[in-house]
Parts: sequence; C-alpha cells; structure tokens
Amino acid sequence: MRRIIILMALLALFCACDDSDEEKDMTYPEISVDGTPTDGQRYHRGDTICMSCSFSDNLELGKYNIEIHNNFDHHTHSTSSVDVDLDEDKEAVNPWVFNQDYDIPSGLTSYSPSVCIVVPDNIDTGDYHFMIRLTDHVGWQQIKSVSIKIIE
Amino acid sequence: MVHCILAAFMLLESPSDSTIKELDSVMVVSSSKKDFLMKSSLTNVSVNKSYLKENFGGSLMQTLEHIPGVQSMSIGSGQSKPIIRGLGFNRVVVAEDGIKHEGQQWGDDHGLETDQFAVDRVEIVKGPAALSYGSDAVGGVMSLYTNHKPVKTFEGNAKIFCRSNNESLGMSFKAGGRNGKFHYTANLTWIDYADYKVPTDSIQYYSYFIKLKDNRLRNTAGTERDASLLVGYAGYNFHTDLRVSDSYSKSGFFADAHGMEVRLSDIDYDSHIRDVDLPYQWVNHLKVMSHSVYNKDMFLFDANIAYQNNHREELSEPVSHGYMPKPDGNMERRFSKDTYTANLMLRLEPDEKYELTVGSSTEYQHNRIGGWGFIIPDYETLSTGAYALGRYMVNDNLRLNAGVRYDHVHTHIHEYHDWYKTPVSSTDSVYKQRSYDLSRNFNSLTWSAGVNYAFDRYIVKANVGKSFRVPIAKELGADGVNYHIFRYERGNATLDPEVSYQLDLSLFWSNDRLSVEMSPYVNYFPNYIYLNPTSDYVEGLQLYNYTQAAVLRYGFETLLDYSFNRHWTAELKGEYLYARQKSGDKKGYTLPFSTPWSADMTVKYTCQWKGRCHIGLNAHVVGAQNEIVPPEKPTDGYWTLNVSASKNMSLRDKELTMTIRAENLLDRRYYNHTSYYRLIDVPEPGRNISVMMELEF
Repeated sequence: MRRIIILMALLALFCACDDSDEEKDMTYPEISVDGTPTDGQRYHRGDTICMSCSFSDNLELGKYNIEIHNNFDHHTHSTSSVDVDLDEDKEAVNPWVFNQDYDIPSGLTSYSPSVCIVVPDNIDTGDYHFMIRLTDHVGWQQIKSVSIKIIE
Repeated sequence: MVHCILAAFMLLESPSDSTIKELDSVMVVSSSKKDFLMKSSLTNVSVNKSYLKENFGGSLMQTLEHIPGVQSMSIGSGQSKPIIRGLGFNRVVVAEDGIKHEGQQWGDDHGLETDQFAVDRVEIVKGPAALSYGSDAVGGVMSLYTNHKPVKTFEGNAKIFCRSNNESLGMSFKAGGRNGKFHYTANLTWIDYADYKVPTDSIQYYSYFIKLKDNRLRNTAGTERDASLLVGYAGYNFHTDLRVSDSYSKSGFFADAHGMEVRLSDIDYDSHIRDVDLPYQWVNHLKVMSHSVYNKDMFLFDANIAYQNNHREELSEPVSHGYMPKPDGNMERRFSKDTYTANLMLRLEPDEKYELTVGSSTEYQHNRIGGWGFIIPDYETLSTGAYALGRYMVNDNLRLNAGVRYDHVHTHIHEYHDWYKTPVSSTDSVYKQRSYDLSRNFNSLTWSAGVNYAFDRYIVKANVGKSFRVPIAKELGADGVNYHIFRYERGNATLDPEVSYQLDLSLFWSNDRLSVEMSPYVNYFPNYIYLNPTSDYVEGLQLYNYTQAAVLRYGFETLLDYSFNRHWTAELKGEYLYARQKSGDKKGYTLPFSTPWSADMTVKYTCQWKGRCHIGLNAHVVGAQNEIVPPEKPTDGYWTLNVSASKNMSLRDKELTMTIRAENLLDRRYYNHTSYYRLIDVPEPGRNISVMMELEF
C-alpha cells in the first residue's frame, strides 16, 4: 500500500512540474474602426468606400481580408449589437460580391490599412455586410462586421 | 450485496455471482477479477449491463463518460462520440462484435450510429491497439458486444424511460431464446426528444445576443429508431451467427447558429419543441455481420465478415456565400459509405503455457458525396493487414506477450470541381477545382509487447507498443470552405501515416476493503496530423492546413474504492492529461479539444429490502482548461452534483428494476471544453432527471 502511495505522489509531482515552455501567444489581434464605415452608413453606387481603421497585436500581425456580401435575406453574422433599419427581404439579381485578401508587412504590432473600394455602378442596391477579418501570426482571428446600405 | 461489489468493481470485469464469496461483512473477490487484469497487458476496462443501466444517459457515450479516461464529445442532447484519453474521431476505433464501425468518424457534428440498449457489454482499451484493429486504434478501442447468447427458451426485457431536460421518451424491447442448438435475439428501440434546456435565457456569441424562449435551444429535438435481429447456431465445436441491424436518427442543429454563423430565419422554431426544422441531419446505418468460430483441440478458427452502409445527410436553408449563389434545394451535404470487412483469425494453444494467434483483416471502403457543400472528396480505400501475437504464461502470476503486424493501405481520392464559377480575373471565371485525383499507398509495421505480473496484493501491467493511422480523405484532399466552422481547410496530399508510440502502466492493489488502481501512460507522436490555423486568408476565410507535428502526451487515471461495511462504499476517481506540440508552427501549444483534469467522488448506500436497492451521491469536479490552440476559448472549471437510486423487485420469475438519476441537480451553468456547441458559447444542459423502468423476463 505504502508503495502505491509513494508512486502516486511521485506521479503527481511529475505532473505538477510542467515544463516551462517558451511564451505562447494567447492574445487576439484587435480591430478598431474609427469612423468609416459605421453601422447604417449609406453609399451611392459609384461611391468610393475608404476604410478607416487600425489593427494591433501584442506580438505580430498576420493578414487581413475585406469581404462585402449582400444581406438581402437578413442572415446575420453581426458583431455589432446595433439594430440597423433593414429594407424588405428580396432576391438577389446582381448582388455585389467583394472579397480581397491583403498582406501586412511582417513584424508589425500595429498597422493602419489604407483601402478604398469603389462601389460598382451595376449592382443591386440594398443591405450589405462589410466584413473585416484580421489574423495574427499564430492564427488568432478577430472579425468585425458592419452593416451598410447601398442606394441608387 | 452483489450490487455493491459490482459497483465497486464496475471499472473492472464484473465478477459473476458464483465468484463472490461473502465472509462476515468482508468481501473477497476471487480469481475472476485477477483473470481479467491478467488477460491483457494493455490498460483496459470492462463494463457490464448493470453499469450501463445505472448510468444510462442520452446516448451511449454519455452513459460511459464517467469512466476515467473516457469522455464524450456531444452535439446536442442525443448524440455523442467517444474520446479516449483526449483522442477522438479517427484516432479511436469503435467496434461492434469485433467489426470496426465505419461511419463518418471524422465529423464533429454527429454521433455514433448504434443502439445503446442492444449493447450487453463494453470493453474499452485505453491505449494503442493497432495489433488487433490496424489503422486508427491509436487512442484506444471501444468494443461493444451485442452477441450475448440467450440461456432460456424465451427471455428478454422491456424498458421504458424518460428524461426531463429534453423531454425525451423512449422504449426498448429485447427478446431472444434458445431452442436446441439454435438461438435468436431481437432488439427494437424508439426514442424521441424535444429541444433541450440550458440554464440561461440568452446566448452571447461575438457581441450578438440570441434570446432563448423558455431556456430551450431551438431546433435541437430529434428522434432515433433502431432494430436488429441475430440468429445463431451453437454446436459443440462450431458456432455461427448472423446479425442484421439498422440504426436511424434525425436531429436538428441549433437554429440560431448553424456551425459558427449566426442566422436569422423565417421558420417559426418556437411554435413546437418536438419538431425538427432546418437545419437538421439524418443518418442511417445498416450493418450485416456474420461471425463463425470453429474450435477443436488446440485450434480455434474465427471468421468475422460484415457489410455496412452509412448514409448521412445534412439539410439547411440555402444561402449564398462568397461567389456561391443561392443553391437550389436544402441538401447541403450527403455522404454515403459502403464498407466490406473480413477478419480471419487462427489461435493455437499447443499447451497451457503457450498461445499463438495469427490473423488477417481486410476492409474496403467506398465513399460518395453529394449536396452543394464540399468538405471531403469521393474516395475508395482498401486496407489489408496480417498479424501474429504470442503469449507465454510463465506461471499463474507472470505472463508475457508480444506481437507484430503489417498493414498495406491503398487510398484513391477523386477530383472535385465547384458547381458554381469563381472569378479568377476581371474577365474570366472558372469552376474551381477543390480536390485532385490522387492515389496513395501506405505501409506500416507495428508491434507491441507487454507483461502482467501479480505478487502479494499487487497486479502490475506494462505494455509498450507502436500504432499508426493512415491519413483520411479529408486530410489528404480537402480544399474548400468548412461553413460549419467558417474556415478554409486545405488537405495535404503528401502526409505520412501518423505513428504513435505508447508506454502504458497499470498498478492495482487491493485488500478486503480498499482497492486502488493507477494507470499512467506516456505517448509520443513523431508526426501527429494537425489542422493548423495560419495567418493566411483564402477566399475570405482563414486558412487551416493539415500539417504534421511531433506531439508528446502523458497522463494517468486513478481509482480508489473503499467499502466501509456491507452497506456503504465510497469511490474516488480522477484523470489528468497533458499534451504538447513539440515541433512545427504551434510548438509549445497543446492539441485541440484537450480534456481538462477531472475527479469524481461518490458515496453509495446499498440495501436489501425485498430486492436490491441503492442510492448514490456523486460530485463531479472538472478543472479549468486554459491549454488551448486557436480558435478555441479557455473553459472554466465546474462541478456538478448528481444522485442516482435504483430498486429491484422480483415478480414471480420476472424482475422489475426502477432507476432514477438526477444530473446537475443544482442546475449549474457550465461549459464542456469538448462539446461541439462550446464553439458558439452554448452551456451544457441544465438539471436533468431521468427515470427508467425495466422488466426482465
């Protein structure tokens, strides 16, 4: 019996001695949108949307992506709790699909992207989601979604 | 009394009544438990019917998850799959009567397609068992046995049960009999459950609030129907049986978030709590198995042949995504898999000291997909293996064993193109190719050696072995968006078979009152296949690619059992697991779904008053899990209080048992780190009271 107790104590000790690994990155990158676009913001077809935001991370930023898709069926991946005044549900005819991946110069812990996107002339008007996705170098991801409206 | 012993040793082989002797108030378990412990040098656990009855949960794995080293990965209240020592999916083999169960094991959003009430006995190997099962048995094996032979001309049982949390109602019937050398067994099970309840009125996911009506998770209702028939012949030297089983289940996915995407729908989910609306899944598993044994003198020949068809569909409301326009119809994914298996085995026992087993196993899988979502390609896999295993019984107290196995696996995956076009330049668009035609051959040599040694009050087991796992079609050929988890998954056609080395120890000590068991292990993977989150984006989603990394894991399970007197027993059990990636991009991180430490304390009172009765109080404590990899979230620790009670009554030659279980009695709100819905911050079910009545005849 005593032998068992000794063995268990040894094992417990073995487990308690966690090897002190190199620092693991456990922190998400951050997105702060300072102005454009904001929830409910309206753009005309042919307008230019210039995104104004800043990214930061404790160690190193990864990449980012901007994606714009319609919200005519009122699905949502909203990351904002703001209720936006939505149009009636409708079927998409020629919806705007924008999807672009962007690099961030390596080694940065903060970055302010300058991205301007032209709203095409021939797309459906209505509710859209403007999504910003950002990773850090180990793959933690932050998502920011903004509801915008495209009008004539 | 018998009940008490059974409970005390439920984690070991349940001794049959004849082997238990009562000496005053002290119990002595004679050789059968030692026999079980001496049978294999691997760390194994056997649970019998009374354990299954006393612990019965919403699914088989929920029934078994109280065994140290075993967890269930649940999706909703009625479906779950096994995790053994932190490994799951294709790293654990589930075998039914010796045949590997082949569904879509890689998927994290569905359960095991078996009838938990048809199972007579479960044996769990917690460690590498490649020798008998070939690829996949890296983490362990869960063997279900349904082929118990009836002893009477007509016998069986009828069960009726309900659970309060998801208003589940179920019935199960079993009837069988023996007539001369012929016997049969038939099972029928029906279960229907409503949306389950969680102790919260809203779920916060990202910054989106999902309000719940009456604490119910919308659209998590479901139903299950199982049927099986076994007919057999048992002669003196020869026995054979044929079993046909079919298991069907349909269950809804939480309506407000399909996968990780928060969704709005026009469907009025709150009008009924028992109906299943979109999104939902259904799965049907058909199995035909033939098992024959011929035994004469020093020879035993065993042939196990089976056919399985697993058909699974996921249906949801169609929406456009990225460049994919809104598809027609609701069929998001369909998987249809046919598996043919043949296992042959010959055992020679020239004398009492030696035993030699040689065998071969062959398995052919044919998998076809459908629907507008793509996650794995079509594929065919042919696996063949041969093994030899020797045992040497030095004496009653010392046994040695060693074995070797060789496997050859051929996998052919098919190419797949999107059904919609994706622009590649301002003027051109293409049907993107998601997987490429690929043929791979894998060869693996595995081995195992072990010793069982008994002295004084101790039994010591040690086993060292090598196991392997052949990469699956998804790991080799995936190249597309996994909309459930909102990531882009890319396979790697050059992956090597995953190899695992493991050292297992089991120490057992017992006296009249106390028994102690300790099972430590160390496990090393030189090339664990890992879905690595990267910083890259593909088509707007974060890219995860399959890579291989060295992984070190170790841990232990422990069990202490003390019997105060003939009425009172106490049990303490616990488990701990450590996992680290030792190379690659995520060096220093753990593995996904790492199980936190946990401990169980149970006090039980057993009585005899016009039949057996018992009442037990259990505290289940689980540690916090801060060991995570992206995109997981840390999970807080928690504890729950659980009560169970049962009463047995004899009605002439029949036996009536009533079992009541109350889980999470304090209705605590907690998260399970290994639950599918953990990803979207859904807590575990609240208080649940289940009642089962069983009539055995």
